[in-house]
Amino acid sequence: MSENVEFLGSGIFAPFKKWGTKWSLWPVHLVTACCGVELAHAYASGYDGERLGSLNYGIARQTNLIIVEGAISRKMARVLKITYEQMPDPKFVVVMGACGLKGGLFWNGYHMVRPSDVVPVDFFIPGCPPTPESLLRSIRALQEKIMSGKAETTISFDKVDLSEIEGRSSAARPPTTPKFIAPTPSIKVDVPKDVDWEFGKKLVKEFEKDLNGLYNSITITAKNRIAISAEKKNIMAIANILSKRFDHVKNVNVIDLPHENSFIVEYQVSSYSDKKLMPVVVNIYARIPRDNPRFPSLVTFWPSADYLEREMYDLFGVWFEGNPAMGERFLLAPDTPDFPLRKDRKLKEEEYCFCEVRE
Amino acid sequence: MTEKELLLDVPVQPPTELFLPIPKKFLEEAYQGDDYLVLVGPQHPGSGHMRIIVRIKGDIIVEAIPDPGYVHRSIEKLAENRLYIQNIPLLERPAIMDTGNLTLGYVRAIESALDIEIPERAKYIRTVLAELSRIGTHLYDAGILAVFMGHTTGFMWPFALREPIVEAITRMSGARITASFVIPGGIRRDVPWNVLEFIRKTTFVIERRLKSFEKIFIRNPTVIARLKGVGVLSKEDAIKFGVVGPFLRASGVEYDVRKVEPYEAYEMLNWDIPVSDDGDSYSRFLVRVEEIAQSISIIRQAVNELRAMPEGNVISEDILADYSNASSDIRGYFFKVFGNLILPQGEYTALTEASRGTLLYSIISDGESNVPYRVRAVTPGWYYLKGFMEALRGERVADLQAIYGSFGYFPPEADR
Repeated sequence: MSENVEFLGSGIFAPFKKWGTKWSLWPVHLVTACCGVELAHAYASGYDGERLGSLNYGIARQTNLIIVEGAISRKMARVLKITYEQMPDPKFVVVMGACGLKGGLFWNGYHMVRPSDVVPVDFFIPGCPPTPESLLRSIRALQEKIMSGKAETTISFDKVDLSEIEGRSSAARPPTTPKFIAPTPSIKVDVPKDVDWEFGKKLVKEFEKDLNGLYNSITITAKNRIAISAEKKNIMAIANILSKRFDHVKNVNVIDLPHENSFIVEYQVSSYSDKKLMPVVVNIYARIPRDNPRFPSLVTFWPSADYLEREMYDLFGVWFEGNPAMGERFLLAPDTPDFPLRKDRKLKEEEYCFCEVRE
Repeated sequence: MTEKELLLDVPVQPPTELFLPIPKKFLEEAYQGDDYLVLVGPQHPGSGHMRIIVRIKGDIIVEAIPDPGYVHRSIEKLAENRLYIQNIPLLERPAIMDTGNLTLGYVRAIESALDIEIPERAKYIRTVLAELSRIGTHLYDAGILAVFMGHTTGFMWPFALREPIVEAITRMSGARITASFVIPGGIRRDVPWNVLEFIRKTTFVIERRLKSFEKIFIRNPTVIARLKGVGVLSKEDAIKFGVVGPFLRASGVEYDVRKVEPYEAYEMLNWDIPVSDDGDSYSRFLVRVEEIAQSISIIRQAVNELRAMPEGNVISEDILADYSNASSDIRGYFFKVFGNLILPQGEYTALTEASRGTLLYSIISDGESNVPYRVRAVTPGWYYLKGFMEALRGERVADLQAIYGSFGYFPPEADR
């Protein structure tokens, strides 16, 4: 077997084989993230990538090129590897975008992997997203590489002598971070606001009558926004009453307050059926202890909350009692650290470098 | 060929224990019964990747379970660790072709917190940008729908049509796709008259070429045969599962955030909400085609209004404070003005009608830090995923691709 491969690589037919490979670089459909938009442009009629002999194809086993389109998540890393392993030799990898290079905007995200750690990469295309021109340029560069056997960068930069730049002293220290994060923030989700909203005031009166004894406070927080504070034990009763008027959930949110040792769980509900209630978003929220984060699931009243609840379990570990899919990973890869959105899961901090702008 | 040392050891052997986000009982039940489990994806010949675990009886789908998260990029966590202003490009990334609407959603949440009124000219330019993105996204989805159905010409036409839109966005903002043009208090810089004129002319190009596209794809009998009556989502189901945007309107619910809770210049302009009662894949597609026509009309009206306005002031005085000479171009003053932006304490929720539906950004601020305490982003894709799965129920496996395409499901947007 290896003799045949060697013969193909260096025998008398080798130039023909190289030539054939050069003009038939078929990328597999592996749209990994948002750079796919520009990839689609590159292969559509505007830029027509097909004239370089490159054509997207659906099945990994009949292709020889992977164009990694931007960010690779932990969950996707395995798919990338499996797809790569499925492809026949010779095979190539081109990575698009800043995310694939060093992480780009998402460099310190908890769910990110660099493609160069997973598969061997032939060319990187910087940009966020790179233009179709630069993608086609990388295809040309790859063709050159196939013919000559060495990968060469297609961009050259002028060398800059840093010592000549005025005003730069060797003792210059990098600036400190502009961020200020309060050590003990006080979070209040129902800050009252005085707005000119007659219907809202009427609505609040109706809620006060309907939910008598079940709520702690009802506040108008902005125009079309009402917040209802309640205890955890009353949430089901409130949902039962409100679900008759509000038919879907807009948002399920959890706010982590480690310094107060609690979570705030919010349900934002709204209506599609009642024209008057359409713009109104009612926020029902309750505090639960952080060491025993359990909350009644409201999927029985609002089936639209299902995936939102599962997502919140993934990210915060709040157990929604009654949701049948609790305890299963949904969005996150199996090997991601648990509950990454909790405040005590820290991300890597940025480093600031010194840069002087000359007028 | 020398093998490169790889840092991550990713197992490539077929896993003995499948990682599937479904209960074990479900697997056993399916195997004992007469059903099959078909895993569609993550690598499949369409756009983006997600896995759909389809349980089929014969070739009828009994149940479809999604396995999303392949493009989960931890945007919500990253947003908690950056300045308010640094989050604009970050929160644009879920769906970069929809740049106008996604940035607008986040910026409007900030503006509602600061309670500032933006200049009239900025409102209209934002509307133009948002509608350009909407046309672009609908065309993108039409192209992807064509890819799903193996209709290559149907892919080429909308993407050729996207080129003038991309060019218009480039002339406005300087970037082809990721404009990040909307900032708290207005827009980055004023758009000169010749660019607005270019945008107006672009709308005529799109309108004319859409007519050919209609012959090639929209009224094509093959396309109608693939889409008509497939993946029906009734009005009750659409409401129950919280479907959003054009997909909700295709099921007969007249809900559009632009009308329900008007923002920017939409109240001042004359336009309709396209609604269909069928709720099938074809009407989901047609509603979006009709929306392109509405967007074209909105852009023309907005450009006409802009013609009458004096050029210049596009950033609110309230936010510029001492730097009022930057009111027509923020360049050079960006961090001076926005570097230490602090929102008052509270929760601020802004609803926006992005191209694929309702977009919710909720910012929670503690009133002291210059980074948000929590940013909650719920994108349209994530809203209608449930409805999408319900629409698959009872359909044939061969129609899965058509339904997938008709929803324009874009995993990077849904997973964030």
